[in-house]
Amino acid sequence: MKFFYKKSVWVMVLLLIATFTYAQPFVISGKVASSETGQPLPGATISWSEGAEIADDKGFFELKTGKLLQSIIVSLAGFETQEIPVKGRTLINILLQADKKQLDEVVVTGYATQNRKFIAGAVTTVKGEELRNNPVAGFNQLLQGKTTGVQVLSNSGVPGGGVTFRVRGTNSINASSDPLYIIDGVFVSNADPIQTGLGGQQQSNPIADLNVEDIDNITILKDASATAIYGSLGANGVILVTTKRGRLNSKGRISFNTYQGWSTAINKFKVTNGPETALLTNEARVNTAADGGAVVAPIPDVANQPTYNRVSDLFRTGLTSNYDLSVRGGSEKSTYYLSLGYLKQESIVKPSDFERYTARFNYDNYVTNQLKVGTSVGLTRTRRNVSSNDNNPRGVVNSAIFVRSYLPVYNANGTYARYGAFDNHLALIENLDNDAVGWRSIANLYAEYSFSPALKFKSSFSLDNNSAYENNYTNTLLVAGVSTNGTATSTETKNLVLTNEQVLTYIKSFGRNKQHTINALAGNTINTVLNQNTGATGNGFASNDLTAISVAAIRSGSSSRSQAKLVSFFGKVNYTYDNKYTVDASLRADASSRFGVNNQWGYFPSAGFTWRASQEKFIQALGFFNDLKFRASAGVTGNQNGIDPYGSKGLWNSGSNYLEQAGTGPAQLANPDLTWESTTQYDVGIDFTILKNRLSVSFDYYDKYTRDLLLSVPVPSRTGFSFYFQNFGAVSNKGIELSVRSTNISANNFKWTTDFNISRNRNNIEKLASDITLGASGRNISILKEGNPVNSFQLYKQLYVDPQTGNAVYEDVNNDGIITAADRQIVGNALPRFTGGITNNLTYKNVDLSFFFYFQEGNKIMNMNDFFMVHGNTQANIGFVPRQLDRWQRPGDITDIPRLTTFSGNPTANNSAANNYGGNVANLSSRYLEDASFIRLKTISLGYNFPSLLLKRLRLNNLRVYAQATNLLTLTKYGGLDPEVSAQSSNSNTVGYDWATVPQPKTFQAGLTITF
Amino acid sequence: MKHKYIFTVHVMILALFFSSCKKYLEEFPNDALSSERAIVDAGSARAAIIGAYDRVQGYQSANYPTLGTITADNVIFNGTLSQYLQLDQNAIPADNVTTVAAYQGIYRAINSANSIIAALPAISDPLLSTEEKDKILGEAYFIRALGYFDLARGWGGVQLQLQPTIDINAAKGITRSTLQQTYDQVLSDIIEAENLLPDDATTRNRAQKSSASALRARLHLYRKEWALAETYASQVIANTKYVLIPVYKNFFTTPFNTTESVFELSYSVNDRNTFWNLWYLSSGGGQYTLKPSVAIINKLNDPATGGTRKTLIAGTGNNIYGVLYNSSATGADPSYVIRIAELYLIRAEARAQQDKLPGALADLNEIRRRAGVPAATASAKPEILLAIENENAVEFAFEAHRWFDLVRTERAGAVLGITDQRFWLFPIPLADVLSDPDVDQNPGY
Repeated sequence: MKFFYKKSVWVMVLLLIATFTYAQPFVISGKVASSETGQPLPGATISWSEGAEIADDKGFFELKTGKLLQSIIVSLAGFETQEIPVKGRTLINILLQADKKQLDEVVVTGYATQNRKFIAGAVTTVKGEELRNNPVAGFNQLLQGKTTGVQVLSNSGVPGGGVTFRVRGTNSINASSDPLYIIDGVFVSNADPIQTGLGGQQQSNPIADLNVEDIDNITILKDASATAIYGSLGANGVILVTTKRGRLNSKGRISFNTYQGWSTAINKFKVTNGPETALLTNEARVNTAADGGAVVAPIPDVANQPTYNRVSDLFRTGLTSNYDLSVRGGSEKSTYYLSLGYLKQESIVKPSDFERYTARFNYDNYVTNQLKVGTSVGLTRTRRNVSSNDNNPRGVVNSAIFVRSYLPVYNANGTYARYGAFDNHLALIENLDNDAVGWRSIANLYAEYSFSPALKFKSSFSLDNNSAYENNYTNTLLVAGVSTNGTATSTETKNLVLTNEQVLTYIKSFGRNKQHTINALAGNTINTVLNQNTGATGNGFASNDLTAISVAAIRSGSSSRSQAKLVSFFGKVNYTYDNKYTVDASLRADASSRFGVNNQWGYFPSAGFTWRASQEKFIQALGFFNDLKFRASAGVTGNQNGIDPYGSKGLWNSGSNYLEQAGTGPAQLANPDLTWESTTQYDVGIDFTILKNRLSVSFDYYDKYTRDLLLSVPVPSRTGFSFYFQNFGAVSNKGIELSVRSTNISANNFKWTTDFNISRNRNNIEKLASDITLGASGRNISILKEGNPVNSFQLYKQLYVDPQTGNAVYEDVNNDGIITAADRQIVGNALPRFTGGITNNLTYKNVDLSFFFYFQEGNKIMNMNDFFMVHGNTQANIGFVPRQLDRWQRPGDITDIPRLTTFSGNPTANNSAANNYGGNVANLSSRYLEDASFIRLKTISLGYNFPSLLLKRLRLNNLRVYAQATNLLTLTKYGGLDPEVSAQSSNSNTVGYDWATVPQPKTFQAGLTITF
Repeated sequence: MKHKYIFTVHVMILALFFSSCKKYLEEFPNDALSSERAIVDAGSARAAIIGAYDRVQGYQSANYPTLGTITADNVIFNGTLSQYLQLDQNAIPADNVTTVAAYQGIYRAINSANSIIAALPAISDPLLSTEEKDKILGEAYFIRALGYFDLARGWGGVQLQLQPTIDINAAKGITRSTLQQTYDQVLSDIIEAENLLPDDATTRNRAQKSSASALRARLHLYRKEWALAETYASQVIANTKYVLIPVYKNFFTTPFNTTESVFELSYSVNDRNTFWNLWYLSSGGGQYTLKPSVAIINKLNDPATGGTRKTLIAGTGNNIYGVLYNSSATGADPSYVIRIAELYLIRAEARAQQDKLPGALADLNEIRRRAGVPAATASAKPEILLAIENENAVEFAFEAHRWFDLVRTERAGAVLGITDQRFWLFPIPLADVLSDPDVDQNPGY
């Protein structure tokens, strides 16, 4: 029968069927296909006055109606519903048009699904299809530039590494600003289980445990109307992920997907060569002596100093391999989706890599007509070879770039040579052995009982168990292992989230023409978060071949445990009148064990209003809008994430031991009033579609005000404490979001669509007890200050380098004639003013081309590599970057790099040698702060779908091959390697540092997808 | 009917949750005590005083000795971290990490001591004898005295917190005392400690009556109360428990707790002192941030000034490093708080200042004899005082002495070139200035 599928005989076949079926009266058959591609569409519902059937996996259907029909209605999610007059036919071929408006789309929202038409909140969705096949493990990283109102930054180019994700700005200072991630109803932990320190970098992206290939769609809830139902968990936005499920009555379909990628560095670190380094050193020594400082003999024979190129040892072509295999289908009563995935990614900087195995099983079963049960289970095993960089002198990158280039890599006796605080980069590359194995189970089990078509009750249990088992061995060839004669550590960390949830939903339309629709729900959840950790360390090994802690000379152990509980009750009512007006209201009550006994319960209300103006006669009369909708919402959400589970209690910690006896000491002051941060948010939005649905536009304005910040308020040291945990302070975020979707050309063979989005967020600290400074290893150049946005940089502002003296001149902010700490000022911010993306999709016959640009504007980066390596010789063990060669040398030189000297006399004077690189300023100047705005061609991909004719011959359903490039082109003024970097990301208040960080790679990949 | 039944059950479950919520939401850590349960009986009192020593370790292990060395001329900056560069250049901002950590650490120890002093008298536990109670109380007074002394010589007169902090608002209204008032408080605490503490023949890593007296001798020296300094120094020197150890390097090599030691803080593999890490070369597993200066290397290597004290350094060429802290594998190096050698030099200086020159010279030469360097022959008072100053520099090359000595004798300008006396005191931490309306910053910062 297979030859029947050949397109050329398509009509003939149908005629045959028609003839065959003509003999049986009251039977209608046919096939449902896509109007654009001609591909069959399985799963469409064909309904008539007394029944319904579902098209099979090849799009065929057969209706045994028992009588003559006037018309049938054909519907399928994502396509426009059609009513087709039968006119006595028995064979009807139906072409469905894709629903471009997206307006009839059903969207998964908090505890419910809603029709997009009537949603009052700011909710955006991204299809899994748009994210797949990128050489990036975590879907959260892939949302960068794909939708409005989210700001995503990869902290480094390390595969599986940390990602900073913000929905509508940073709401919090000490609590977390990470959104709530919910995968198939499971509240998942975004706590990083990896303990191995990476020098200030967030170690991993826990969200990368989910295989992007398994994602059906993602909904991002942004405003209070959408998030208030999550109460004290909702203030930072909610990311709802729905994974793929099978369809009822569809034949099992096997799909195989793979790609191979090759990643290389876009730019590599540059350092001065041996003669240049020696020249700069000598010049500094001569100048220092002339200033009256120490006299040090120059390095002899400058021109013949050797150069040891360490940087080229760091980089490699990183390979990425990805394989996915899935089966998907369903019977009359049940559906299933099964998948296996494998991803391996090498970092472009040795020796880190990342490996991930995933498995997923999603299953639903109608036990009876009323009772449905099902499960979603995701299992993931990850393996990382963790390598420390960033702010760690024993990191691989540090050891290669900071060491002076004239110093040999090996000692004369062939051993690794080391200088200052730095390890030997080759020793690290060859010997680093930090193995982190993660096991993640995200599972949900539910039962749903329908009392009536309108009233349903659903109960579910879910768990997210994220564990990391880390085994690190530092052998005696590494600095860290020298003194201990080898160190082995083994740590098992477990982050467990357990949730039980009950939801009762009621959806009903009534009245004349069903003009009243109610969509209501009520429910409760009980949530437990447990973090546990047990570790062992062994020091002193007989040989580097022995790595078991049990055979170490000195052994010790450690452990930690914390648990928090949350009990919640919630309800939401959504009422629509005449398809025009919708009002909704929700309320949630939360009680958390994290908070003080006086303030344990919190209440979070919201309200929203939608007006579908395009349903009004006078708008329709304009003949301009295909759709027009106005939205407004207000509400309160809370944040308790990232707060220590015991933060409200007065504590004396134990473990303050002395003389092998257990000791205790005051550790934390009690605050029985401690409670959540609350965010009040207002949102107004407009969505419209014009030009025959070819242009759709969505615009939002929001105003968020977060009060009662959970703040570590600094208290006088004399109290014996350095801070007190209290609700103090306020932060605001205001912004606009615009997204445009345009079908530029839609011809028979050629189609071109463009998606554009841009978001702007303005953050401001409205109230703070006192300035909080932090960052850069105690250099405190990041500042939180009332009246300024979070993530501001506080530095001495270098005005110019005096052409006569060669000394740096700084702005004397308080005009007291001297340069002191009081002259530091806020000179920039690490947060972008605008972020956005443009995606273009072009299809010509079977060929498709897409390219996606991401851009951000207005953010600054502190280039710590320059900070350290343009040091005027104050750092005896660190070399220089070429920028140091631009230093002032003789009167008249115009440059921003001052004269080389290490003289330190009179550190308060401006335009003095002391403050060029040391003294009171000690390099903390705006000299190293750079604009890091960029626009980047994130992906460009060219694909080919094999024609159906060939597919039939190969007995395939679909075959696609493609080639893709990632990060191919970047336009930026930033002088470091890569503007997309955040080296100090383990603390959300120290954003915007570039510090011996692995840069984003550029990747070429080729892949194919086969569906049987 | 079935539906109604399920619904009712559900409502009932919800009601149950509500009532049991309070209990359900009670969570407590398994690694910390509630403040109210911190000092209630013999066991918890013992744990509290152990914890107070741990707090002293917190600032004495690395931060305080760093402040006393890199700021002067024996040790120079050779690392990457700005806080050490700032200290070396004596351009110390108010948020300098090391000064802030030391300042906070000292007050943490003081708060521990205050908690014990406040809570202990009320405890009646048959397992806690009066002797033990006195001993714990005496140790708490000693720790508070040491804390305020270390604050006063670094930051000048400070705010005197004498009550434990339980409520943050109760701490308001305490302004800075003068240097003399601060030292008065130190003295009164030392006297309490002397009265309460026992003395035995072996304990050197917990406070004893004699260690309190040694601290008292040092306090009187700093207050230029020469006669009293001499009296208390003599009292400690006369105690047979303390003897200059014949081989200099033996006091900083295992086994520790030598007769040299009047008061030291002990460490072990389970409670490590990692200060060696700042001194050692990276090939030895360290950071080499603190590097002996050329001047001190020359003095230590010169048989006429260093003698056996040259064992304080190792390495060759440009890679000479300090080895006072050398237990890199175990981290067991003690914090050397008071050595008997100091008492000799205290008495030498006190005697010289009282024009008891032969006695001064005799004490000075005790130290020189032990180090194997020729006896000093200076005869005039200024020369003897200078010789004592130089002897202190070499004898305590890498301990928290040189900076504080030069500031105390007002010689930091002449010797170190820091002519602006305002910079002889460290800045009050910026966070304190911002958060505490009762504190005034030291002038010049």
